[in-house]
Amino acid sequence: MLHLEIITSEKLLFDGEIKLIKLPGVSGSFEIMTNHAPIISTLMEGKIKVKEITDVVSYFEVKGGLVEVSNNKVKVLVEE
Amino acid sequence: MANLKDIRTRIASVKSTQQVTSAMKMVSAAKLRKAQDAIIQMRPYAEKLNEILTSVSSNLGSDVENKFAERKVRNKVLIIAITSNRGLCGGFNSNVVKRTTELLGTTFSEQSKKNKVDVIAIGKKAVDGLKSKGVKVSESYLDLYDKLNYSTVSEIAQAVMDKYATGEYDQVELVYNQFKNAAVQNLVNEQFLPVNIESKADSKSKKTASKISYLFEPSMQEIVVSIIPQSLRIQFFKAILDSVAAEHGARMTAMHKATDNATELIRELKLNYNKARQASITNEILEIVSGANAMKG
Repeated sequence: MLHLEIITSEKLLFDGEIKLIKLPGVSGSFEIMTNHAPIISTLMEGKIKVKEITDVVSYFEVKGGLVEVSNNKVKVLVEE
Repeated sequence: MANLKDIRTRIASVKSTQQVTSAMKMVSAAKLRKAQDAIIQMRPYAEKLNEILTSVSSNLGSDVENKFAERKVRNKVLIIAITSNRGLCGGFNSNVVKRTTELLGTTFSEQSKKNKVDVIAIGKKAVDGLKSKGVKVSESYLDLYDKLNYSTVSEIAQAVMDKYATGEYDQVELVYNQFKNAAVQNLVNEQFLPVNIESKADSKSKKTASKISYLFEPSMQEIVVSIIPQSLRIQFFKAILDSVAAEHGARMTAMHKATDNATELIRELKLNYNKARQASITNEILEIVSGANAMKG
């Protein structure tokens, strides 16, 4: 199980438990699932896909950003 | 002693002023809360960004190649003065104008003599204040506060950063009021560019920066280069938010004082009014009594 927080400079977009997240990385799109190795990566313009624990899928449009994964906690800083 | 009618109209006018100032105080208090909320909302983002910047730059060392780095010469300087659009907030706006002209005369006097200082004014009061002091304002943003959000603010920041990157400016300085609490604003001039990674990676986030060895994608170098502009835009946004919160704080204090002064004035006027009233009654009685005595006599 993963804990995800999506933060913009103005508000918290998402906070909750998820199954997987797909991110538009600078060197290609990638997914993060439970027990991913700690990583810091930059994002480019695109869509973030989030699959929540209840299997609900939601999308977030971003212009760019930054992601940090450690210890099954995902923090995504996005610029809208 | 002024006559009764004069004092009565005076009291009425001071009372209506007091109503206006106390209403303005209440409006400012509500707006201050909103402005403070915006600062609090931004904090987790800024802190995380700083934390990542710290942990990456501490691995890389401080001399990271980037286009916002320090330059040897300071040919042309840009000063950004941030004020509000409205007045009635004490020394809030005039302090910024004063500090800006001070900077022109001291720190940047060399560049100023050669006409190598540009001033950008944010807020109507900065434009008016600087013009009256004879400072040429090269650009102004007046409708920024109508719909304050990150994207409009970061557009301005980006425009300034682009101009620095292309070499048009060699230093950019922000002058604004930092929000401390509702009653206290700190006037600061802060270096916006060139960027100082060391100072951004402050000791507080150094402590919280974790010791986990991360994977970096694409590379640490590229991550730092992409974080720096992001962090600069946040710094600029924070300055604007601080200034807005400080403005409402300053107006609240100013209006509180004005309301107090009006209350005191009304008290004095009422005292005078009652004295005058009593004097006129005493006079009337005197006249009646002396008239009656004259009749008797």
